[in-house]
Amino acid sequence: MFKAIVSAETLSSTLDSVSVLVDECKIHLEEDGLQIRAVDPANVGMVDLSLEAAAFESYEADGGLIGVDLSRLEDIAGMAESGQLVQLELDEETRKLHIQIDGLEYTLALIDPDSIRQEPDIPDLDLPAEVILEGKDINRSVKAADMVSDHIALGVDDADEFFYVNAEGDTDDVHLELTPDDLIDLQVGSAHSLFSLDYLKDMNKAIPTDTEVTLELGEEFPIKMHFGFAEGQGQVTYMLAPRIQSD
Amino acid sequence: MGNAALRDIAVLEEVPFEDLAGSVVAVDAHNWLYRYLTTTVKWTSSGKYTTAEGTEVANLIGIVQGLPKFFEHDITPVMVFDGGPSDLKTDEIESRREQRRTYEEQLETAREEGDEVAIAQLESRTQRLTETIQTTSRELLSLLDVPVVEAPAEGEAQAAHIVRRGDADYVGSEDYDALLFGAPRTLRQLTSKGDPELMDLEATLEKHGLTLEQLIDAAILIGTDFNPGVSGIGPKTAISAITEHGDLWSVLEARGETVEYGDRVRQLFRDPNVTDDYEFETTLDPDLEAARSFVVDEWGVDADEVARGFERIEGSVVQTGLDRWS
Repeated sequence: MFKAIVSAETLSSTLDSVSVLVDECKIHLEEDGLQIRAVDPANVGMVDLSLEAAAFESYEADGGLIGVDLSRLEDIAGMAESGQLVQLELDEETRKLHIQIDGLEYTLALIDPDSIRQEPDIPDLDLPAEVILEGKDINRSVKAADMVSDHIALGVDDADEFFYVNAEGDTDDVHLELTPDDLIDLQVGSAHSLFSLDYLKDMNKAIPTDTEVTLELGEEFPIKMHFGFAEGQGQVTYMLAPRIQSD
Repeated sequence: MGNAALRDIAVLEEVPFEDLAGSVVAVDAHNWLYRYLTTTVKWTSSGKYTTAEGTEVANLIGIVQGLPKFFEHDITPVMVFDGGPSDLKTDEIESRREQRRTYEEQLETAREEGDEVAIAQLESRTQRLTETIQTTSRELLSLLDVPVVEAPAEGEAQAAHIVRRGDADYVGSEDYDALLFGAPRTLRQLTSKGDPELMDLEATLEKHGLTLEQLIDAAILIGTDFNPGVSGIGPKTAISAITEHGDLWSVLEARGETVEYGDRVRQLFRDPNVTDDYEFETTLDPDLEAARSFVVDEWGVDADEVARGFERIEGSVVQTGLDRWS
């Protein structure tokens, strides 16, 4: 059983955070909220999302599992105007999701969860450096790096205590340093890793600019990016594997 | 190596290497290696490319020089070899030898019987890559952690099959025949300087208003690796004739021509011998030390000859997968 009412904004944020990596996903309808975990086909980027029941206007579920085509559901959520509520109800018999937005009724065929790529195991990473900053600083870094290169280096200088962003292009370079004064918090540790901008750009799209984002970094290790949405009742963790020298 | 006349039919477009970053290319290994053996490494001209005992090592140099291009652009190559056993285990090398003998026997029989389709098909598989090249190429690729797939028959057909199943993004081949094997997207000129060329099946069919079956029929009229074609029929004529009459047989009937073994050639492209039984990982972890020692110490290749290639492989940055950390 699944029956819920949620604001269009919260629903869209949820779906957008996942659709930057995959086209289809499984949604766990737990008693205390939604859970989504997915990895892109190349096994490079992962998302782990939870949305508490409290983020909904009303929420009832008993541990079911559904598979959805994210762009379909995003299109439907996009039909709602700002502030409108979206009503969702699962028909167990027909395996369809009934969606209502201010009189508009939409019946969405679900995807067999077994046909969707298996949910990933979350790597157990102990990352030495932690940087807490505003979403807009990530946005700025990614945008600037994208002007000159396909990849971006993120690191922490543990001697001089600052977080830095480096991008080296064929002709032009971008460098940005953020000291503890520019950051919300910095836990110094030795960290430097190179990431594909293709992935970071997509993940960045889902990060609200006015949100606090926690980055966890290591030496040639995956990055973890953690942020809240829906007034902190939703949590997203992205993980992205680094690019490394092939030796 | 495919009929170059198909170039006039194929829809081709240059793609910058940057746009291919992160993609997986199922490479027709025979075709790829052969390019290096004939163009990059002029193996007939110099003793440099054979050991003191006269064994060929040009393929090893070719591999070390050719792979950096993939790695530097963050492309994962999957090398698809023409018909042979499923992997490199030593006890199976014998069976590959066996297989090669069988091919040669079959070829002999085909020649005696004058079966031209079989001759062409078998020749394309047995020629050029010697036993040693077959073995040492696979061994070097395995040290460099480059995935290898053994095709039951034509490597190109198997590569097309892998892309159609969504397990790779592109076929890598110079051969225009990739289109006829139904390769949705083929990258050409992966061994040349400059950007590769993308050959798009869907766009090709759309442009001429043909089905894949009709394209195959048109190609048979022009001539393929397996049949000589009808004299006087070029790409333009072939397409307009197929458009007018519908299929190969109707065209031949209308023109009073014949194509020997036409149905078999057609079958070869329409329903090639391919397998779903393959597996590969796309995040690579090459053992450069072992690879260098294999090429230089074991096979006596001049270290300078491959130094630059290994440096380029070492310096290239590759995307890792999250599974490496879980």
